[in-house]
Amino acid sequence: MFRYIRKRLTNLIVVLFGVTVLSFLLSNISPVDPAEAYARRILKSPAPQKIEEIRLKMGLDLPLYQQYINWIGRCLRGDLGSSLLTKNPVNYDIAQKLPATMQLVAIALFWILISFIPIGIISAVRKNSLFDHLIKGVAILGISIPSFWLGFLFLFIFAVTFPVFKVIDYGNIKSLILPSLVLAIPTASSFVRLFRATVLSNLNKDYVVYAKARGISSNRIVWGHVLKNSLPPIVTLFFQHLGYMLAGSAVVESVFSLKGIGLHLLNAVTARDLPTINGCVLVIAIIFVLCSILADVINMVLNPRITDKEEGLYE
Amino acid sequence: MTELLKVSKLCIGLKPQTFPIVKNVSFALREGTSLAVVGESGSGKTITCKSIMQLLNPKTFQVSGSIRYRKTELLTMDEKGIRALCGSKIAMIVQNPMTAFDPTVKIGAQIVETLMAHQRISKRDAYASGILALQKMNLPRCEQLMDSYPYTLSGGMLQRIIIALSLIHEPDIIIADEATTSLDVKNQNMVLDELEKMKRNGIALLLVTHDFGVAAKLADNVIVMREGKIIERGTVYDIFESPREAYTKELLKASILKRGNCID
Ligand SMILES: Nc1ncnc2c1ncn2[C@@H]1O[C@H](COP(=O)(O)OP(=O)(O)OP(=O)(O)O)[C@@H](O)[C@H]1O
Ligand SMILES: [Mg+2]
Repeated sequence: MFRYIRKRLTNLIVVLFGVTVLSFLLSNISPVDPAEAYARRILKSPAPQKIEEIRLKMGLDLPLYQQYINWIGRCLRGDLGSSLLTKNPVNYDIAQKLPATMQLVAIALFWILISFIPIGIISAVRKNSLFDHLIKGVAILGISIPSFWLGFLFLFIFAVTFPVFKVIDYGNIKSLILPSLVLAIPTASSFVRLFRATVLSNLNKDYVVYAKARGISSNRIVWGHVLKNSLPPIVTLFFQHLGYMLAGSAVVESVFSLKGIGLHLLNAVTARDLPTINGCVLVIAIIFVLCSILADVINMVLNPRITDKEEGLYE
Repeated sequence: MTELLKVSKLCIGLKPQTFPIVKNVSFALREGTSLAVVGESGSGKTITCKSIMQLLNPKTFQVSGSIRYRKTELLTMDEKGIRALCGSKIAMIVQNPMTAFDPTVKIGAQIVETLMAHQRISKRDAYASGILALQKMNLPRCEQLMDSYPYTLSGGMLQRIIIALSLIHEPDIIIADEATTSLDVKNQNMVLDELEKMKRNGIALLLVTHDFGVAAKLADNVIVMREGKIIERGTVYDIFESPREAYTKELLKASILKRGNCID
């Protein structure tokens, strides 16, 4: 297992290299000139030589690879540069905004976790029952409804019509309940569908029939064996979605006016705040890769066959 | 000799239109005897066996008729009752040992689970009797076996573990559905020897096979199935010496061609 983790950490470096190069390239391909954008932001109508001055100061006149190397060098020393928008170090901004989003995502993941496992299993076990059909309908709705619309709907219902929550109430856990639900519902819905299918296919496996033939109770078979065998594909997806949620929390954060990393990144993109964009992409990429490693480790524990495929029992 | 299992007028249909798969099948299994069910692929042998243990999904299959174990009706028994019988009084040996166990759980835990489903026994005691049961099957390094995952073991080893498990609660009846089909010749003979030993110990065997060699070696009586119906039945001598149906003769011929030296 440790050999595997070391391999994955090497992978991490390769992925991070790719992601940073890509984000660097993409932001340089787009037609807007960051020096000009920055100049316009600090001065009303900047003179051309003023823009050139800024370009020189930001190192934007250097060849692209030189800019990249400079940036990576600074990153390795823990310096992601300064935001053009807030003037703060990018590090500082991210450290400010990330915890709120992490909290939001963590609560959303909690909703997902406590919903899709029991619902998926019960739907599969009671295939074609009323419950199953009902869940199918709700899940399709949950997958297809856009987040911002769901967000507004929730605000309208639970904050305006029945004021259980406040529209803007930043700072405590209660204010995260609605947004985390909005963030969780599409993912939970697609998980329920996938998990139900996986459980169904496992229910038809030989080991289920033989377990019954040995007199093991259905409950034990389903909640012990079938559950354990159905989890691995969803674990991988679960951690992938953790990454998506971090990156894609912008919509929910803007609907519920939460000051998180998603909104921060969105603002940076609109303002062409290159250091912030690159910094956020780097941080999100790191989280993505760490999540996928975590997923693999959990899967190895769930299904040891993945680990010692090459090392048999009797060496 | 008491009648342990009596199947009468068993009909199994595929829902929703109850398309018939097994039609009007009746047979009886007496203490210490063995009955072979032979027939071509798709003739309904497995479905018949599964219906005895209520292993068929009631949403897919419509089962009618009667299946009695001693004096109790199995078809209408509730889930709890039938699970209490399965694995203790009626045990099963499966066709494919490689897929019979949960691949994510160690053999030992699955044996312990089986023991604890039927007895009030502590985990530690169950583990100890699990090792004992494996040792009785002449399996090597039983402690190590208990601690290994199913996929690390060979088909022959797994089938021996399954046989050990089938005997663990001293059953009256053992149902062996193609118990030798997926094994190599050496392991086939090992399984056949074990089945023979069971028979000598008074366990009634229900053997599903399309191999007349197996039937000749172990069975007292034979029923021949085709398209869900019993088309011929008799003692093993009747069937081998004077088969009436052309279908039986054909099956017999195909079997002899395949493993010519097995029938002596
Ligand atoms: N789950 C199922 N759904 C629909 N039809 C089924 C199902 N299982 C079995 N059947 C049908 O029932 C019939 C009998 O199948 P069964 O498995 O009992 O045959 P078998 O005699 O055991 O054959 P084999 O020698 O190949 O094992 C077949 O025609 C098969 O197509
Ligand atoms: Mg079969």
